[in-house]
Amino acid sequence: MGALAHYLESEGIPTTQISLIREHTETIRPPRALWVSFELGRPLGAPGNPALQRRVLMAALQLLDAPEGPLLVDFPEEAPEDALDDDRGLEGWSCPVSFAPEMRQETDLERLRSAFNREVAELLPWYDLNLERHDRTAVVEFSPDAASELLGSFAAGEQPVMTKADLSLSTALRLAAQDLKSFYFEAVTARPGSAAPSSGEFSRWFWQETTAGRILKAVKERCLKETDKSLRKTGALLLIPLDQT
Amino acid sequence: MVELNRMPEPMRSHLVKLPCPSFNSQPWVPGKPLASRRISLISTAGLQRRGDRPFEGMTGDYRVISGEIKARDLVMTHISTNFDRTGFQQDWNIVFPLDRLRELEVEGIIGSVAVYHYSFMGATDPAEMESAARNLAALLKGDGVDGALLVPV
Repeated sequence: MGALAHYLESEGIPTTQISLIREHTETIRPPRALWVSFELGRPLGAPGNPALQRRVLMAALQLLDAPEGPLLVDFPEEAPEDALDDDRGLEGWSCPVSFAPEMRQETDLERLRSAFNREVAELLPWYDLNLERHDRTAVVEFSPDAASELLGSFAAGEQPVMTKADLSLSTALRLAAQDLKSFYFEAVTARPGSAAPSSGEFSRWFWQETTAGRILKAVKERCLKETDKSLRKTGALLLIPLDQT
Repeated sequence: MVELNRMPEPMRSHLVKLPCPSFNSQPWVPGKPLASRRISLISTAGLQRRGDRPFEGMTGDYRVISGEIKARDLVMTHISTNFDRTGFQQDWNIVFPLDRLRELEVEGIIGSVAVYHYSFMGATDPAEMESAARNLAALLKGDGVDGALLVPV
């Protein structure tokens, strides 16, 4: 991020930036940077909190009025959700959906896949409802059905049927995995009685309590055994977050 | 939250190892007061218009995002799994604060919002981004931009 600012400023464009990793910004020394203490993925602070977003935005833009630099300024506030996480303690967000808990230890891939398909089918109406309500989804390339078919068949050792001719298998698996996770979030938060979980709560639930998480781990295992280099890289780095492996 | 020394492994090592150059020079371009500047958003969240090419790797390329875009048409195809996406799912302003920028324009706090905004995919080696970034500067000038706000993810 800081390097981009350096290149643009060198070409005559005044820049200011938000910094998420202070140590990187200290090394790169871009012209103007506002360090925020928010988690990765949330540079403006918190979703649905326009007042906080505005304060962050203003603090970053006002650096353009500074007479000299380089400047690295700390934003004084933390995201309200960090406090929420602490308050909830170990109990955490409780998901209103409980999926076949016996599947968490299941190693038979066909049984796992059947349970996965049931899970997807159960969530699908809520995803549709959410889409109708908000007219927006983060799903990009693979509908829930297409994502679960591609990932389920690959996990089960089948030759997957590629429906997107312009994507390599490794890219398709990565995008399908992201789309599946987006679908789960949108569906599960649309169910009555379910407030939006924090990012950590959702991640814990998705990776530790759903069959989808198990299927993605099986996809990763197969990727690691493939001869294709991009599939091995996808399996090693691009399917499962580092803190869930 | 994201001070490296407070971050648990293995994320800490992963972030420490990301390519991070240092430069001998510190460029600085002075400019007009904020209230007369034209602002463009430059994200590294791997954002793209729905239907545009997804980001595929660390090649330093970028996507163009029209200022007319609606939230439903902006999607994220960053390759990393190591940051939160549920914030973006709930509110695009969390990574692409176009609504907030428009409000500042209406209130006269900034001069105007640019016609075009851009997104790279972060975690790319900055050396790979350099030529694209230098070309981008010419496009920004063409759009009259004299304030680029860079937003990481």
